[in-house]
Amino acid sequence: MQEGPVNTPALLRAVPIDGSPIPDMEIVTRCRRGDGHAWRTLYDRFAPVVYRFLSAFGVPLEDREDACQEVFVAVYRSLSHFRGEARLSTWIYRIAARHASRTARRRRVRSLLSTLLVREPPPPPAPDPSERSERLQILDDLISKLSPKKRLVLVLFEIEGVPIEEVAKIAGCPENTAWSRLHYARAELTAMARRRVR
Amino acid sequence: MNRQSWPGTSESDPAEVFLRRALDDAALRGPDDVTLRRGWAAVAEPVKAPRARSWSWFAGGVATTAALALVCGLWLWPRAAATLALVSPAAPTAPAQVALGTRRLTLEGGVEAQLGSSSVMRIEDGAPRVEKGEVRFSVPHRPPGHPFVVRAVVRNNDYSVVVVGTRFGVAVNDQVVGVDVDEGIVEVHQTATQQRLARLTPGEAWHSADVSVETSGAPAPEPPAPALPISPSLSAPPEHGQVHVRIHDSRHAARPAARTLALATPGEGSATAGRASIATTSGLSTASDESSNAARAALSAGDAPRALQIYRALALKTGPAAENAAYEVGKVLNERLGQPASAVAAWRRYRVDYPDGILRVEADVSIIETLARTGGSDDALGEANDFLRRHPDSERRAEIARLAGDLYRARGDCRHAVGAYQIVLGASRPRDVVEIASFRRAACLVRLGDAGGGEAARAYLRSYPTGRFRTEAAALVGDGARSVDGRTRPQ
Repeated sequence: MQEGPVNTPALLRAVPIDGSPIPDMEIVTRCRRGDGHAWRTLYDRFAPVVYRFLSAFGVPLEDREDACQEVFVAVYRSLSHFRGEARLSTWIYRIAARHASRTARRRRVRSLLSTLLVREPPPPPAPDPSERSERLQILDDLISKLSPKKRLVLVLFEIEGVPIEEVAKIAGCPENTAWSRLHYARAELTAMARRRVR
Repeated sequence: MNRQSWPGTSESDPAEVFLRRALDDAALRGPDDVTLRRGWAAVAEPVKAPRARSWSWFAGGVATTAALALVCGLWLWPRAAATLALVSPAAPTAPAQVALGTRRLTLEGGVEAQLGSSSVMRIEDGAPRVEKGEVRFSVPHRPPGHPFVVRAVVRNNDYSVVVVGTRFGVAVNDQVVGVDVDEGIVEVHQTATQQRLARLTPGEAWHSADVSVETSGAPAPEPPAPALPISPSLSAPPEHGQVHVRIHDSRHAARPAARTLALATPGEGSATAGRASIATTSGLSTASDESSNAARAALSAGDAPRALQIYRALALKTGPAAENAAYEVGKVLNERLGQPASAVAAWRRYRVDYPDGILRVEADVSIIETLARTGGSDDALGEANDFLRRHPDSERRAEIARLAGDLYRARGDCRHAVGAYQIVLGASRPRDVVEIASFRRAACLVRLGDAGGGEAARAYLRSYPTGRFRTEAAALVGDGARSVDGRTRPQ
């Protein structure tokens, strides 16, 4: 098994000086009781993460907002099933990954229908103001060329900073497989970047 | 497989440089504030109103709603008739002076308003405006981001009384606006400039002659304020005076989107005991959106003062657009008008109004960066430490910790600087920030004569073999060894 450095995701790396964030399980318990404040806390903590994950995973700009909302609706409806065995972030990433795949499928179906019905393709969306440079567009383009399995592992580890054991849980594979997918994803991405940025 | 080795730290390989920067950009990518708020509006609902899962529940709900509507309709019908009578030509347009008679009303959000005799209060865009006489308010604690604002206008001077939950009174006569407080804390602002005129605690009172306020519409100084008959508390039971309610549809007025409901006591007309509920005005969000668009257009056209004016007016309202405007005021002052001190004041006001606002982190970071840039290092350090305590989850934590480290280092306090840089090392991104903190921590440790200084420099070199501080770090390894030798060598 390959050894890697500790890679703590942003939302788990809290190093409080004299106070701790509310534990995941407490937030979930309070949400289940209908505590609106807890639900807001959960949203504030995870919405930027989910949005960023969906962006990096290749959900197009015009579908991103809806997909993010769908993820949170799904999270809310499934809160009763969260048993606290995995980290809340892992659980939410898993839901987000499922929705990202579903969004991609829907998009493919829409595209196919448009082709069959000879419809005018929708106009390209306005550029996302949060995307500060064309670097991001190129990176998104390169990542979208990876297979979905490699893409998931690379996005989670390299962009989201999720530890590999959590990546393996989210991807539903052994840790060694996750390392292997990451290795090949990095190699492919570097090769593509060399061709693109010459 | 070593994470630091991919992408490498080489500056000569454009692909590595590209991937390093692009991955950092991707890690910092997030939704804009409007998207976040829109998302929250869409997903907040499940908690407030879980969806009914079966038709029987749905049918039950419809039946209950219909029954309630019927009961309410029957209950309100006589009052509606009375209201219609009041808008007849026979009703006076200005209430007569009547010595006795008060009226208690329940406004939106459970706010109790008690109108004194001859008082005139107008509700515009959901916010009350006292035009004449005295009105006392009892405001239940408001949710964060939704302060209760009462406006009072006298002789072209427009004041805003801003509260989050308290009991207070507002009185207006021909020349003076007066405010007194029974419970909680109340702030009085000049509406046009957002200048805070007073902050009142229980037992304190303020009236507009306390300050000299210059406005374009009223250049002349205000005359001395006559004593206002401000009653000491709201606890006395209200007398059942007469209430005069008239409803205007101001579609032909200057603000077509606003529907105005004016209340006055007592004058003539019918009186009804009990509660009067005031509905919110329609088109409020549309008006806010238009204002936001107008402010953005003014900024695009380079008219920053105009944008500032619009944002300030919008910030007096409530809701997400007002919250955004409250933050934008500081941004315009700082970035467009070159007034960093005023910008910091505006962001601090935002924090007071929206202590848990969605832009709270942005406001904190803006304050810290502005203070650090303009030389307020003490204030900046205080703010940075507060930030690190307050936002253990924030993704801006590494940046702020590095900034705090640099500020400590600049004042020669290496011990605290090391602590701050240590926080940065707990993060993995932004990589540039982590690299700088890693090197500067080593430099501080060496300067302190700490045994770990040389090792920290070596750790930097291991992580960033082609990093930008590799030469200095190599020198630190030697310095660290000499420093430790010097410290530990027997005298």
